[in-house]
Amino acid sequence: MRADLNIDFIGKRKIFYTISICLIAIGVLVSILSGGVNLDIQFKGGAIIRYSYTGTIDKNAAQNIAKDTLKDAQVSTEFEESAATHKKTIVYNIDKSLTNEMQASLYTAVSKQFSGNQITKSDSSDVSASMGQEFLRKSILAVVLASLLIILYIWIRFRKIGGLPAGLTAFVALLHDVIMGYVAFAIMGIPLNDNFIAVTLTILGYSINDTIVVYDRVRENRRLYGSKMLFKDTVNKSINQSFARSINTTLVTFMAIAVLAVFSIVYNLTSVTSFALPMMVGVVTGCYSTICIAGPLWVTWETHKEKKALAEKQRQSLEKEQRRLKLEEARANKAKKSK
Amino acid sequence: MFKRVEKPIIFIIALVIAAMSYISIAGISYKTGDTKNTIIKGAQDIRFGIDIKGGVDVTFTPPAGTKVTKLQMDAAVQRLNSRLDGLKISDREIFPDYTADRIEVRFPWQSGVTTQDPETAIKELGSMSQLTFKDPDGGIILTGSDVQSATANVDTESTSSSGYRVDLVFTAAGTKKFATATTKYVGKTISIYMDDKLIESPTVNEAITEGKCYINSPGAPMTAAVANALADKINAGSLPFKLVTNNYSTISATLGQNALTVTVMAGLIAFLLICLFMILYYRLPGLIACVALCGHIAGTLLCISIPQFTLTLPGIAGIILSIGMGVDCNVITAERIKEELRVGKTLDGAIDAGFQRSFSAIFDGNITVIIVGALLWILGSGTVQSFGYTLIIGVIFNFIMGLTFSRLMLKSISKFSGVRKNWLFGGAAK
Repeated sequence: MRADLNIDFIGKRKIFYTISICLIAIGVLVSILSGGVNLDIQFKGGAIIRYSYTGTIDKNAAQNIAKDTLKDAQVSTEFEESAATHKKTIVYNIDKSLTNEMQASLYTAVSKQFSGNQITKSDSSDVSASMGQEFLRKSILAVVLASLLIILYIWIRFRKIGGLPAGLTAFVALLHDVIMGYVAFAIMGIPLNDNFIAVTLTILGYSINDTIVVYDRVRENRRLYGSKMLFKDTVNKSINQSFARSINTTLVTFMAIAVLAVFSIVYNLTSVTSFALPMMVGVVTGCYSTICIAGPLWVTWETHKEKKALAEKQRQSLEKEQRRLKLEEARANKAKKSK
Repeated sequence: MFKRVEKPIIFIIALVIAAMSYISIAGISYKTGDTKNTIIKGAQDIRFGIDIKGGVDVTFTPPAGTKVTKLQMDAAVQRLNSRLDGLKISDREIFPDYTADRIEVRFPWQSGVTTQDPETAIKELGSMSQLTFKDPDGGIILTGSDVQSATANVDTESTSSSGYRVDLVFTAAGTKKFATATTKYVGKTISIYMDDKLIESPTVNEAITEGKCYINSPGAPMTAAVANALADKINAGSLPFKLVTNNYSTISATLGQNALTVTVMAGLIAFLLICLFMILYYRLPGLIACVALCGHIAGTLLCISIPQFTLTLPGIAGIILSIGMGVDCNVITAERIKEELRVGKTLDGAIDAGFQRSFSAIFDGNITVIIVGALLWILGSGTVQSFGYTLIIGVIFNFIMGLTFSRLMLKSISKFSGVRKNWLFGGAAK
């Protein structure tokens, strides 16, 4: 990267804010259109059963046999095929958890119905609604706790250059990334499961890493240039100095996850895909949020403080000047009187 | 430690990393006759989770509204362990949660087990297996807890030559109860039930006071397998409370095996791409970064294989993520060295300043990842725990390989005169 990179990131902040708000709005829209927040069975309870098969199967027939066997449960049927191994799978999404016996009878019914298609059990997942809710609670707790601990840590480490605004602006950037993670899940149509929690927590850790590197530079530059440089320019300089590193690290991590994502898509490893794709988004927003959200916000805060301090200084020197004038006037008057 | 770094250091470290890499994959073992004794477990001995090996993950709870004591929970855990022993499932994990009254059981399919029927396995595991002897009116005479031991033996009474029976030896209390009952009900039937299933209804011929009896079915003889299974069930003991299956997931072995191969391939390719990028962009520090990365991965694998910590798919994803983040240390440092060279420092000065100035940023960044990893480990369940573990291990090796070893290697190699060109360290070409 060129040594004299000098982009005015802070100046362009309105553009960045707009981009973020637009993306979040799209995510919210998609959520509403698809009927609310799409929770995976791990959070809301239910069952997903997969059978692998050969040959062809009529989707309606597959749906009907399941509905008949499971009577009072809502069933939706899908087919999946792995691009690499050409393994075919029936996927039954069921809205309530199934007992052992029900699972067994479903398998019997389906394999009997499609006896020529070599129906074999692939994998199944069954979660009761109460367990799901508790898992959701625990996960939200983990995310909240992680955020608080991280803010606390930044507050302490950066207290010399104003710990609280540093911590809070970093937190806003984190919130931004978590929301972006959710938007990614919503737009890609992936239901929120424990991978979402893992992705969110990882993005928290990763994004804050990036934010810290820039804040560390700001701390150093503050030490070097003191208040001779406006905070706005200090932060701008710091971002420009660490830009190459931000881009390269993001690129490297992105590459690693992208390879994983590509492989998992081709081989139809849905659990890995639902982790890798949002993670790719998270890595990018982690970098973006530091430069375009945390930085500018901190500048706004500190600039506001700076302006107040400047105004106060001016007011004081104005007062001093007025007092001096008054004193001179008084002396002049005294001189006149004594004449 | 960093003041006087001599030339040989780079070779020593490179050798150490090479050795680590080899051991992490192959392990150290020797053969005595036919048995293989493993000193250090390598990658082949990694204990994989059920999402890779295939298996069952089930959570049991007592029926809604039933309160259970800690003692009962412990008894249930013990019984489950015994049952898994009986089913010859040695690789397993049982997690009791005393606050929520839950027991989570996780086990992979044994390699070589042909019928992998999750429903049956769970049913067997969770059944109460209560053995009861009932009198003709249906009252309970004694239960499985009054049985000291049960063994399967050849049935001398059976019509077929391969019939088996289960010999029971009662406890002192059981002997008394049985003596009383057989005295009282001579000429009548005593029914033997396993849970709700009637096994046998023999007629009492005489009072039995020695505390021994056997269960057989002369008309339809039990096979060895059936008799053994029954004996195991009785020995394992019944559960102190009924176990309701609350949650479960099962994965077939073939699905899992495929997943492993794919993710390992992905990891290798990611590693190669990253090395390529680092060497092309950062040249010598980039090369050092690649060597350090090798050490990083080797160390991580060893930390998984030696303590036999379960590695799941998210865990592998965590390793791949750590690879990307691990290089961050080296990127920060290399960029700093570049900057210092640009400002006009000497090569040695630039290297030293580069490491010193970048330390605080690397340190803070990695601490926050530890916070996240710890939370995932503590609050996460099942497969996500593995992810938290690999993240934390990743950070530790970041510090060891990405910081310390990288610094030693870079300083050491910079002592070689042929290498002392600013261009190789990111400075401008002369």
